[in-house]
Amino acid sequence: MAKREIPEINAGSMADIAFLLLIFFLVTTTMEKDTAYIRHIPKKLEIPPENIKIEKRNIFEIKANAANRLMIRGEIIDNPDDISDRVLEFYQMNEGLSESQTKKLIADENYKGSDFPFYSRVSLETVKNEIDKNDKLLTEADMNDQQDYVTFYEKALKEWTKKQQAIKTLNVSELKEIHPQAHIRIVVQQETEYKLFAKIHSEIQEALVELRDKAAMKYFGETYTKMSKRLAQDKSDEKGDRKKVEAIKVLYPERIIEVRPKG
Amino acid sequence: MSKFKKEDKKGAPGVNTSSLPDIVFMLLFFFMVATTTKEADPTVEVKRPEGVSATDLTPYKQRSEIDFLYIGEPRNKKRAADFKLGHALFLDNVAQPQPGELYSTNAVAQWKKDKMETKPSNMDEPISNVITCIKADQGVPTVLIFDIRDALESINALTIAYAVEDKSAY
Repeated sequence: MAKREIPEINAGSMADIAFLLLIFFLVTTTMEKDTAYIRHIPKKLEIPPENIKIEKRNIFEIKANAANRLMIRGEIIDNPDDISDRVLEFYQMNEGLSESQTKKLIADENYKGSDFPFYSRVSLETVKNEIDKNDKLLTEADMNDQQDYVTFYEKALKEWTKKQQAIKTLNVSELKEIHPQAHIRIVVQQETEYKLFAKIHSEIQEALVELRDKAAMKYFGETYTKMSKRLAQDKSDEKGDRKKVEAIKVLYPERIIEVRPKG
Repeated sequence: MSKFKKEDKKGAPGVNTSSLPDIVFMLLFFFMVATTTKEADPTVEVKRPEGVSATDLTPYKQRSEIDFLYIGEPRNKKRAADFKLGHALFLDNVAQPQPGELYSTNAVAQWKKDKMETKPSNMDEPISNVITCIKADQGVPTVLIFDIRDALESINALTIAYAVEDKSAY
């Protein structure tokens, strides 16, 4: 049989097709990445709890007024870039103290760190007792159909379980944790510009990331930033990052309260 | 007999364009990899504030675990007076009576609920974990951010994100 030549395909319009696709992508996409600070809104309780006493030393209050001026813990701040240093100070002031030092200094008013939160040590046994206790209270509240208490104990139980996980993951005998009430409070006024509000969040995040990176380096030899980025990309968590990230978060919790401006 | 060949009267030879598709494809792939899809073209002006150490939202976008809302001054300046403090909301692609319509913060809860219904079936996060990303202009009064937060709290959508332009040095 005679060999027949296969006719060549005309590829002259290939460039046109490619250009069309190219222009489509140019129009529908952006170069900039979406970046943001992820925050959690606390769940609303039907009946607000009675006034819980919070010690002044456990509050890190950042105030911003309508003229976009800042005040941290009663002190006027001119440069918003200083916030992150102050947040670091808040977390680290009493972190290095040993158990006996903490006991001694917590009552000493002249101690320079008396205005900062103290750290306590939590053993696995304490955690277990707390889990059992909260579990019992939760079942009780569930039986009596008290929705608010159910929400409350569920949250407490979740937190203690996280601490238990953290102790296991970090492989320590006891967990050194900042006072459970220690938190950052952002108080703004109605007209405070969003720019400043975002700056405050940026500074808090900067401080937290620094603390967490350092802790993660110490325990796992890898930065927190790297691990959390990998976790966000891979939800199935093949490298076991979730446990580590959660443990670091227990060490340096992000407790931010944003206060609704009055009026 | 001359030693030199006389040049033929020929026109300029055509440029070989057979590698043009390769070049264009290369460009195409570059743009496909280096860019992310736009959510919408907002009809409010948004200039994001700057920040550092922000979280990259691309993985959440790819899993549709995030909804975007924009808040800023309307591009159509005449409409600014209709909204609280002159700043309006732009909500992205759900069925809107008019495309590019602006809203006040009252519309947030309904929008978020509608968005939840249009999620692909493989998105199994509960509403409390689906991020609502607020892209606000630098000059927005924060009270409006809190209005949005309240609306989200009322429908139990408890995860929010404040969009910033990341200025961290890599």
